[in-house]
Amino acid sequence: MTSSDKIIIRCKDVRKSYGSGDTRVQALRGVDLEVREGEMLMLVGPSGCGKTTLISILAGTLDADGGECNVLGSDLRALGAREKTQFRARSIGFVFQTFNLLPTLTAVENTAVPLLIRGVARAKAFDRAKELLNQVGLGGRERALPSQLSGGQQQRVAIARSLVHDPALIVCDEPTSALDHDTGARIMSIFRDVALAAHRTLVIVTHDNRIFNYGDRIARMDDGIIMEVRENEALAAAS
Amino acid sequence: MIYVALRMLLGDRGKYFALLVGITFVSFVVTQQSAVFIGLMTRTFGPITDTGIADVWVMDPKVQYIDDIKPMQDTALLRVRGVEGVDWAVPLYKSLLRARLHDGRFQSANVFGLDDATLAGGPPEMLEGSLTDLRINDGVIVDTWGAHGKLAKPPASPGEAPTPLKIGDTLELNDHRAVVVGICKVSRTFQSQPVLYTTYSRAMKFAPSERKLLSFILVKARPGADLDALCERIKSSTRLTAYTKAGFRELTMRYYMKYTGIPINFGTAVILGFLVGIAIAGQVFYSFTLENLKHFGALKAMGASDGTLLAMIVVQVSHVAAIGYGIGVGVASLFGYLMSGTELAFRLPWQLLLGSAGAVFLVSILAAIISLRKVVKLEPAVVFKN
Repeated sequence: MTSSDKIIIRCKDVRKSYGSGDTRVQALRGVDLEVREGEMLMLVGPSGCGKTTLISILAGTLDADGGECNVLGSDLRALGAREKTQFRARSIGFVFQTFNLLPTLTAVENTAVPLLIRGVARAKAFDRAKELLNQVGLGGRERALPSQLSGGQQQRVAIARSLVHDPALIVCDEPTSALDHDTGARIMSIFRDVALAAHRTLVIVTHDNRIFNYGDRIARMDDGIIMEVRENEALAAAS
Repeated sequence: MIYVALRMLLGDRGKYFALLVGITFVSFVVTQQSAVFIGLMTRTFGPITDTGIADVWVMDPKVQYIDDIKPMQDTALLRVRGVEGVDWAVPLYKSLLRARLHDGRFQSANVFGLDDATLAGGPPEMLEGSLTDLRINDGVIVDTWGAHGKLAKPPASPGEAPTPLKIGDTLELNDHRAVVVGICKVSRTFQSQPVLYTTYSRAMKFAPSERKLLSFILVKARPGADLDALCERIKSSTRLTAYTKAGFRELTMRYYMKYTGIPINFGTAVILGFLVGIAIAGQVFYSFTLENLKHFGALKAMGASDGTLLAMIVVQVSHVAAIGYGIGVGVASLFGYLMSGTELAFRLPWQLLLGSAGAVFLVSILAAIISLRKVVKLEPAVVFKN
């Protein structure tokens, strides 16, 4: 266990709805959530319960309609569009369900993208990307295109990409749902062994109950609110 | 991110070639059609360009273009010679006369009568014989296009090529015998009529009898003279009109622009090519962006600003525009080169290259704008929607 008592995400009464009039859908109905530095929080719940909306708000890709949300010391409501973009480039790593790798870029190029966005020189970015690919077990596949990699390998490239700029928060949306059980388990091990660190927090959205136990804490959502947040007793006991 | 933009573009070969084809098509159509248009327009004032020795052309004030002859009295020449700033002035006869060919056919030809003493205003390039051979009795110099084409003798046997007119051959101009004494090269005329040069006095014999026969007066200005001021002096003191070479070319070209359907016909083709190009390039670029929208969304989520994404699209568009323009202009140039020996008018001045580059750039920017709107409006949260 690497988490500290420092709270790096504090959400209070966060609300979000989509559409208007008769078609209005209340995705978040007042979410209260605190996430500690260095922990892996599993955000679980049935489809449509608002998990993805919540991590979109936490990652600064979506604006809440109401409530407060402080992430890594930044009040997201107070940030303008440009500041939010810079905030994401600096502090957030992303892992998506369908990997979202650029199909015409090699593994090392895909991994280096967050550094290239921040204006890091290409050679330096590629060196750092190679290091990360080695850490996730893809040394030697740097020049492979996504189409030449298996689903699990693609997700490992995506993890390397999420880590390459050393962000303080990584948000993962259903990282194992497109993978078989064994591959999913390997991916979760990489998350715990490589991604998680004292200064880095992971929030993982999933409805795959086979991976719940990889998290330090499990927050269960339903119908737009957090129903409960509980410690992962099994993991705590093991550590 | 420029590197990423280019990798995104070049990595998808099919889309890349589709984009290139669109831009190449626009470049080719705009350049080729415009080059043919300019070539045709240039032909309208070919004789003015060929008569490079004259600084100023003097003519009847009612003349609207080079082929619109309003003859003057021969005494007009003396009046022009008396104007201050005129170094010398010579008469020039120009008319369309009927030539009777070897096989009895008739063919209209542009006949130029040059000043007997100086032969000033003759063809720019002699291929066979010399200009002074015009002093040979009944001598005419024929342009090579005419000699090999409309004035050529019929083939010796069916199926063979016509025999080109050569030195020593004869033809009839208005029932007068004319002997070919030289072959020259001149700019093609607008109506592709053969061009014949002879002396002024001989041209008077060839021409139908009229009271006034002097078509133009060619003037050489004194060294250092202001040509526009000289034109004004000639106008005010002779009641004739005078143009510099450039002015007369412009007058002629304006006439053709105003009174023929050429600009609208070619303009329609150029505009159509432009619009079709925009449609093709815009559609292909738009679908390229749409297919990459998810990836642009991911880049946006990862912290790429709108400015960065716009720069990426502009780089992609510029790359395709530059390559497509190069290929399109190259193909248009090759087309012009291959057609250089034919009737096709084709002229590709640097101004046209600049203009077509501007048009292609405009097409590309319009295509990019269509795509840019989509990317700018894109919510980064779209990456979480599967």
